[in-house]
Amino acid sequence: MKNRLWLATGTVGLGLILGACAGESGGDESSSESGDATQISFMHWRGEDKAVLDEIIADFEEANPDIRVEQNIYPSDQYQATAQRMLQEGSTGDVFTSFPGAQFESIESAGFFEDLSGEEFVSNFDESLIAVGQKDGTQYALPYQLVFNMPVYNKGMFDELGLEVPKSWTEFQEMADTLLENDITPIAFPGADIGPNQFMNSMMMNNAPDEDIFEKLQNGDESLTNEWWVKTLEDFKLLADKGYIQDDALGTNQDSAMALVANEEAAMLATGSYHMNSLLDLNPDLELDLLAPITVEESEATYEGINTATFMLAVNSNSDKKDQAKAFIDYLSQPEVASKYANETGQHLTVNDVEYESEALQNTSYWIDERNTRFQPRFLITNAQIEDAVLSSIENVLGGEDPMAAAEAAQQIVEENRE
Amino acid sequence: MRISKSIYLFFLPGLVLYSLFFLYPTISALFYSFTDWDGLSEAFQFVGIDNYTRAFTGDSIFQKTIGNNLKFMLTVVVFQTIVALAFALIVIKNTKTNVFLRALYFFPTILSSVSVAFIWAFIYDPSMGILNQMLELIGLDFLAQNWLGNANIAIYSLAITQVWFHAGQMLIIFVAGLQAIPEELYEVAKIEGASKWQTFKSVTWPLLAPSATIVVAYTTIQSFKAFDLVFAMTGGGPNNSTEIIATYIYEVAFRSYQFGYASSISVIFMVIIALITYLQFKALRSDRVSY
Repeated sequence: MKNRLWLATGTVGLGLILGACAGESGGDESSSESGDATQISFMHWRGEDKAVLDEIIADFEEANPDIRVEQNIYPSDQYQATAQRMLQEGSTGDVFTSFPGAQFESIESAGFFEDLSGEEFVSNFDESLIAVGQKDGTQYALPYQLVFNMPVYNKGMFDELGLEVPKSWTEFQEMADTLLENDITPIAFPGADIGPNQFMNSMMMNNAPDEDIFEKLQNGDESLTNEWWVKTLEDFKLLADKGYIQDDALGTNQDSAMALVANEEAAMLATGSYHMNSLLDLNPDLELDLLAPITVEESEATYEGINTATFMLAVNSNSDKKDQAKAFIDYLSQPEVASKYANETGQHLTVNDVEYESEALQNTSYWIDERNTRFQPRFLITNAQIEDAVLSSIENVLGGEDPMAAAEAAQQIVEENRE
Repeated sequence: MRISKSIYLFFLPGLVLYSLFFLYPTISALFYSFTDWDGLSEAFQFVGIDNYTRAFTGDSIFQKTIGNNLKFMLTVVVFQTIVALAFALIVIKNTKTNVFLRALYFFPTILSSVSVAFIWAFIYDPSMGILNQMLELIGLDFLAQNWLGNANIAIYSLAITQVWFHAGQMLIIFVAGLQAIPEELYEVAKIEGASKWQTFKSVTWPLLAPSATIVVAYTTIQSFKAFDLVFAMTGGGPNNSTEIIATYIYEVAFRSYQFGYASSISVIFMVIIALITYLQFKALRSDRVSY
């Protein structure tokens, strides 16, 4: 009996030990020495770019036979929540990407960014677009993608109806009325998911031209009950009340909103340039451009649109393979490599001398140099709960609440969460 | 009878796993709930009961999540228990049709919660969803709603999804409980001239109390843990109207990096569940009878 007991416990113990060993070897696989080559992990959230990145990595490995790159991709929601943990452990994400704003701040304060300030490849990027990856004069991350978080509109439809791009709030409403008269919903607004956090940027850009507005809000020097935010909420309410956005907007997700624009039932999609490719996939006959609502009179307008330099490339300070990681970023920042990435993913980039081949990218690249755009204000809210309060006030107004009451409710949450 | 001391070794694997995956994290959460740990840094400071004070007096969203959770739980417990019991009474006999129907009702339970969330988000879509389209088709278009976008009803829409998801599981518990009731008691009730309702009230329900206790307690815990369904369907919106305690803990811990505060909410969460479950057990235990 005793022998059987010891055999049983011995088997369980051995099983646990073997399990632990197997677990350890599996966990270290993503960032190990494979043969003579050093394997590095590239951690990011762009699953849709995997194929083109695989090709770029294959070329990189051919040029650098002593380095192997493995992609570790996580959905963006999960990435926001778990990236920091993985970087802390150090085995994943020798090269990684960061969102600007709250995630950048959090990674920087945890000390997981390697200082890239002195690296030669920094000069491959457009200097004016990489400031978002800096803190106290140190370049911690290099934004790779440049997106415009402002409505995409059906240019062909506008031309057909003789509509001009509105330059003021009055013109915007006239344009929307004309669309309604033609049984077209002016704006498809995906309120169930990304709509509020995307559209708030262009709706407030001229109501609060001060780029430090959210820093002041977090410091207690500004309030959501002040004119700039109450007016923004009133403008949202006007869009809902006049039917400029579709009915039941808060229950509409981005796929449904895209379908409305692709089927030409709606004229604008209140998301951003990153949806242009998807819209063209749904309806190749569309002619698209970007259009941000100017919510003030023409003479008072400061900005024409919103930009976000994101997908910020960085090196993990906990990595043992920093040189190899930097070599990979250097490779990604070469104009010909960046051009391949840009054209195959339909993204504008922050890298200098990129050649855009696709019609959609060429047609909208004037937004990079010729238009006065402002960095996405939402990303300047570094406290996630304050950001949620701001967005909730928009949802509250679209749900029927009075703008001032919604602003007051949100301000209460802001005050509860000030650090 | 003398029991060998070596018998206690059989407890060891279970005890190790329980300690490692339940006891240790629970004690850690309790410890960190008195700190300002951000979840990343090695350094943290003890803040006493500040986190608890903040939860009860300085965090209106947390207070809202408790209300949301209670609405969700009550809706799910009431509807899931009624639906599961009603269907169990229908399919109690072991005929081929009933065995098939039990399997059919149980089917949603084996789906992953994310799949269920996607299916129901599509059903609820205000413009393309089949629910509103069906209502329009049968002339009940005045009932069509913005099911997940209306802050007043979104939490109940989620609760209905939860009922659909788990009622089949509870049905099986009720069927087992109903089949365990001795047939003789029904025969006596019939001889005594009891109506169907009297038979249910005086025979079925009292003897079903142990099953009902399990169903209600399990449903309660399940509804507090409905993180994945809520996260995938609404993400807590609109305007925090579907934010429940579980999703809020995630939000505070993994988006705001306030692990200390999130730990204190977790501890409060644990106490709430324990308290409600205890009260339910106590209430339903008093209904138990034996003949």
